[in-house]
Amino acid sequence: MRPATRASTKVLYGVAGTILLILLAELIGQFQLAGRAWPPLTDVLAYVSEPNGASLLWRNSLVTLTAAAQGFVLGVVVSVLGAALALVVPLLRPGFDRFAAILHAVPTIALAPLLITTVGREDTPMVIAALSVGFVMFVTMTSGFANVPPAQEDVFTVFGSRRSQRLLRLEIPRAVPAFFDGLTLCAPAAILGATIGEWFGAPMGLGLLLVSSMQNYQMALLWSAALAATIMSLAAYLVFIQLQRLAARRFA
Amino acid sequence: MSHMLTATAPVSAPESDAAARAAVSIRGADKSFTLGRGRTLQALDAVDIEVEEGEFVAIIGPSGCGKSTVLRLAAGLDTATHGDVEVFGADPKVLASQHRLGVAFQEHALLPWASVRSNIALPYKVSGRTVDDARVDGLIELVGLKGFEKARPKQLSGGMRQRVSIARALALSPDLLLLDEPFGALDAVTRRRMNSELARIWGEEKITTILVTHDVDEALILADRVIVMTGRPGRVRTVKKIDFGRPRDHSVTRSPEFHDLVDELTSLLDESDEA
Repeated sequence: MRPATRASTKVLYGVAGTILLILLAELIGQFQLAGRAWPPLTDVLAYVSEPNGASLLWRNSLVTLTAAAQGFVLGVVVSVLGAALALVVPLLRPGFDRFAAILHAVPTIALAPLLITTVGREDTPMVIAALSVGFVMFVTMTSGFANVPPAQEDVFTVFGSRRSQRLLRLEIPRAVPAFFDGLTLCAPAAILGATIGEWFGAPMGLGLLLVSSMQNYQMALLWSAALAATIMSLAAYLVFIQLQRLAARRFA
Repeated sequence: MSHMLTATAPVSAPESDAAARAAVSIRGADKSFTLGRGRTLQALDAVDIEVEEGEFVAIIGPSGCGKSTVLRLAAGLDTATHGDVEVFGADPKVLASQHRLGVAFQEHALLPWASVRSNIALPYKVSGRTVDDARVDGLIELVGLKGFEKARPKQLSGGMRQRVSIARALALSPDLLLLDEPFGALDAVTRRRMNSELARIWGEEKITTILVTHDVDEALILADRVIVMTGRPGRVRTVKKIDFGRPRDHSVTRSPEFHDLVDELTSLLDESDEA
């Protein structure tokens, strides 16, 4: 009885909070409390529901989503392999750690010119999404791999386990929950990364819509693009948090 | 490195028959741990322990007397600061690398994502052997977990988990079995039952075994010899041969001789606690 009550209370709080926020945004827009740059939410929704606006948003969202997904996969694969390599060859660990930290410390804006000249305008969003994902994933996986209880290590030692078996049967399964934790953090980061990447001259995408609508003072378009990015980000997060719960139940 | 404290024979090779027959031989083993800020903790001080092949030896002592450290030395998980540790005439690590060692730890250390069956089959997999399904089935039956093959550790009781852990230790029919307080976390009733089960299993497999425990009854029910250790730093105080016949059922555990021995060893433990 108790836990059910608490869970439903939580949901209730969530719903109430969301409604309150939406109402607040609408009121600020209606009364222009934050100037003309903050349109009422109903104006944004009206723009989205009209066929032209909808198709524009849809096409550009797909482009961003594709870039984000590609960057997500690339970033996750590279950083997981990197973390696994640093685990198997401990000599590489300090170097990898430092490289990841330095790469993370460089602002995206500073990387943009470099990326545009190397990978080109079209692929820059994907690479920036990969970079946004990479560091978080690398850190999560390194700590996931390190998080093996000493007693389980000892079990593998006393049975004379080979290195490959220890990796396959202990360290990798042990790191599965961390992997999904990482994915949960990275999914929104990939969407944000792709959107930012599109600021640097990409031919299409939500990032491009944001920049051009800002410059042309199309507030409804600007906000609907922002809304689309947020919804994608939230949806990705919700999908991965479900996976993460499943993984935690199965592997811990 | 040229001159150490004791003049140990350079590579104690085919020294004597006794040394060759000893399954585990720990001679003059010291072990100290560094605690940081220049402080060290001496866990063992000149410990001598010999275990014959096919023998069941129990090590009892108060907590923190270094008895688990002795086991870790024999398992090759730690190395002695000074002194010699040999298992079947070689470095303890050799036995592990040849997959001839079985260990059940204090915390069962089962893999939480694996079923009972695959936990017991783990030693086969990590040693690169094909899993002997008949043997695994036999072990599941031996430890009384038939019907729980597919269960995962968190679905089992504490006693069942320890039985899985013991079955896993037995999987490869090891030449040496090390048990580190495997029933330490169990209640008295379950513990008694596990003791008689372990005695039965040991009766069938007759593996050289070292059991570390702080329970005098447990040691007397199971062991051929009991080694009493004192704490801080750990030393061997007494070695006691246990002559009760097997199986040691209620007729033995309720005998006055048994109780006298329990009293004697308990008082030794008490003394060592005060020391």
